[in-house]
Amino acid sequence: MYAFLKKDILVLVRNRTELAVLLAMPFLLIAILGFALSGLLSGNSEALSMEVAIVQEDDEQQGLTRFAEALEKSEMPAAEKRRLREAAEATSPATLLQEILKGESLSSLVKVHEMDAAAAKRALEQEEIVATLTIPEDFTFQTLQKMLLDAGDGSELQLMISDQAATQAEVFQSILDEIVRSLNFESAIFRIGVEAGAEETQPQFGGVESISAAEPISSFQYYTIGMAVMFALFVSGIISSMAYMEKKQFVFQRILLSNHHSFIYLTGKAISAAVIALCQFLILFFFSSLIFRAFELTDLSFWPGMLLIAASLAVCVGALAAFLTSLMMRFNNDTITTVFSGIVVTIFAFLGGSFTPTDNLPVFIQQLGGWTPNGASLQAFLIWAQTQEIGLLWEPLSHVLLVAIALLILSLLIFPGKGEA
Amino acid sequence: MLETEELKKVFKGKVAVEGASLYLDKGEAVGLLGPNGAGKSTTISMISTLLKPTSGDVRLNGKSVIQNPSEMRRVLGIVPQEIALYPELTAYENLKFFGRIYGLSGKALESAIQQSLELVGLAERQKEVVKTYSGGMKRRINIAAAMMHEPEIIIMDEPTVGIDPQSRSHILEMVRRLNREKGLTVLYTSHYMEEVERLCDRVYIMDHGKIIASGTKEELKNILSNEETIWIELNRPNEAFFQELKSFDGTRKAFETEQGIKLILPKGSRVLGKIFQASERHRVQIVNVNVQTPSLEDVFLHLTGRKLRD
Ligand SMILES: Nc1ncnc2c1ncn2[C@@H]1O[C@H](COP(=O)(O)OP(=O)(O)OP(=O)(O)O)[C@@H](O)[C@H]1O
Ligand SMILES: [Mg+2]
Repeated sequence: MYAFLKKDILVLVRNRTELAVLLAMPFLLIAILGFALSGLLSGNSEALSMEVAIVQEDDEQQGLTRFAEALEKSEMPAAEKRRLREAAEATSPATLLQEILKGESLSSLVKVHEMDAAAAKRALEQEEIVATLTIPEDFTFQTLQKMLLDAGDGSELQLMISDQAATQAEVFQSILDEIVRSLNFESAIFRIGVEAGAEETQPQFGGVESISAAEPISSFQYYTIGMAVMFALFVSGIISSMAYMEKKQFVFQRILLSNHHSFIYLTGKAISAAVIALCQFLILFFFSSLIFRAFELTDLSFWPGMLLIAASLAVCVGALAAFLTSLMMRFNNDTITTVFSGIVVTIFAFLGGSFTPTDNLPVFIQQLGGWTPNGASLQAFLIWAQTQEIGLLWEPLSHVLLVAIALLILSLLIFPGKGEA
Repeated sequence: MLETEELKKVFKGKVAVEGASLYLDKGEAVGLLGPNGAGKSTTISMISTLLKPTSGDVRLNGKSVIQNPSEMRRVLGIVPQEIALYPELTAYENLKFFGRIYGLSGKALESAIQQSLELVGLAERQKEVVKTYSGGMKRRINIAAAMMHEPEIIIMDEPTVGIDPQSRSHILEMVRRLNREKGLTVLYTSHYMEEVERLCDRVYIMDHGKIIASGTKEELKNILSNEETIWIELNRPNEAFFQELKSFDGTRKAFETEQGIKLILPKGSRVLGKIFQASERHRVQIVNVNVQTPSLEDVFLHLTGRKLRD
């Protein structure tokens, strides 16, 4: 078996086009889709416009006054004191923040309501808003202290996001991040503390277990997963067309002559495909994490789950390779493989949600997609990335493995007997 | 040690091989000749257990191999008509893989690889990828791959097709040595009559799926012993002249080629005078006339009505 595996991998590695299909293409697509659609997973910008609440607990005027008092007490030349006071009034951070959020450039995307804490909480629960930004008490004072005098620890904005509209909430968060970054310049003057609103309020919603909220998926994460599961299918196609070449070039017959039963050959193909798919997964995720920071490479509790899912998908890819090889041997024709790689993979990729999440598609399509190897494992990956709960993986993974078993049985049934080999 | 009995293969209603009975004794070199589509490769596939015969039997040392192919596969080395190698791998990697699947490993594998490479004279270029090899080199590695498990019988299906004369004579010499020095039993298929003449003791001639003649080279030539061949070289072909020669009393066969005309007549026919008279009448210039004793090629021509190479 090892000889077969080694040979298949060697042949693949020497084939630039096929390597490109398996590694370069998905990586390129991750880059393109990841950048183009960063934060825009659900597609159009209409779906992205969002209402948010600002809870103002800070008394800006009082903050400025306190800052001025603190300034008076310090031992600084009077001119310097005056300069700093003017700077404080001009750049009061709370005002700046509000101006940007309510400003023209964001007006099509973000609608800001001022509320008190209780009202904001209610609105968040009723899904009237997607996030609540709380400007905490003493924000102005603390921030100015840090910013202009480098005293104290600065302050922290509180962001509470809804788990029902994860995408919008995530977009809002990244907008805020951007604002904070540009206000902070290099020094950390204030930070955003993010709290998933859902965590505490969840039970009141009637226990809706929405995984899409706890930890929103970034576009790079989504497309790394989406492309990995899609391009894993190409491994099956490539392995079975390699088998076709082996038959055409008579090497397959040579293998039979060495007294190996054709089922061993078929098993060898399945194992090669599975191992290659697993390597492909490791390479794609490693580089995507390294370059696009899709996933945290050092998070050791995260990767075992990912590996488990990848291994299940790899088994299915192996079964699929055996199935395609059987078909091709039976009909002595590689059209099947061409059709598979050219058309079936694309259809599966759409059904399974490799290009866009299937949430907006009709339910039966979602269900169909949930039975494609790529769709089912994509779901498993998303669930794991967000919850890291192994128990939730069982359902999608059982789909992957059932499909694998069905394909294996079919390929054994289809494989031609010796007479026609 | 190996024999076939009335082998028959029908592909979707089309008979490819019918009633093929042949045998190989230990240490023999036997030729299998036949024009394109005669059924040579199909016969070889059945002998090598890759193809199940529609009817008939293949026996190795008296035991049928059809139900139980493993013994046959162990002693048999097949050099297929196609280059059955991985073009992306080096010669060394190819041989290593084929050795591995025959259960070789470690030192035994390594020495089998080097021996096979030595045999075909490509040891120095073993680290090169097969697809960069010349046609002749590919053919040689194709043979080396069949030798990895030290077979007792080797069946070669046109191992020299489409390669340069140098590689050809190298391969021929090698097969000859294997047969003479190592006692390897050889079944050799070729389109080149001179290869078979040089290499083989006995010959089978196949046409349209049937074995139409067999025997030692001398026996086969005796088929034509009471005939003679006249070879007339012309400066350019002339159809009317050819038709007249063909209609001569006693002409058994007449063939026209680019260079001239070949007549097969009963021994002692005195036709040279008539040939020259005819050439006068048709204003044909004869460059050369040659009366020959028959060659295997002539036997073949006589039996199949076709040249070995079309
Ligand atoms: N798999 C197949 N299916 C259908 N017909 C076949 C198949 N293999 C061979 N044939 C037919 O059987 C006949 C004999 O073919 P075969 O390859 O044995 O001839 P050959 O003597 O080896 O010819 P060549 O010198 O061209 O190699 C041919 O007419 C061919 O078309
Ligand atoms: Mg042939």
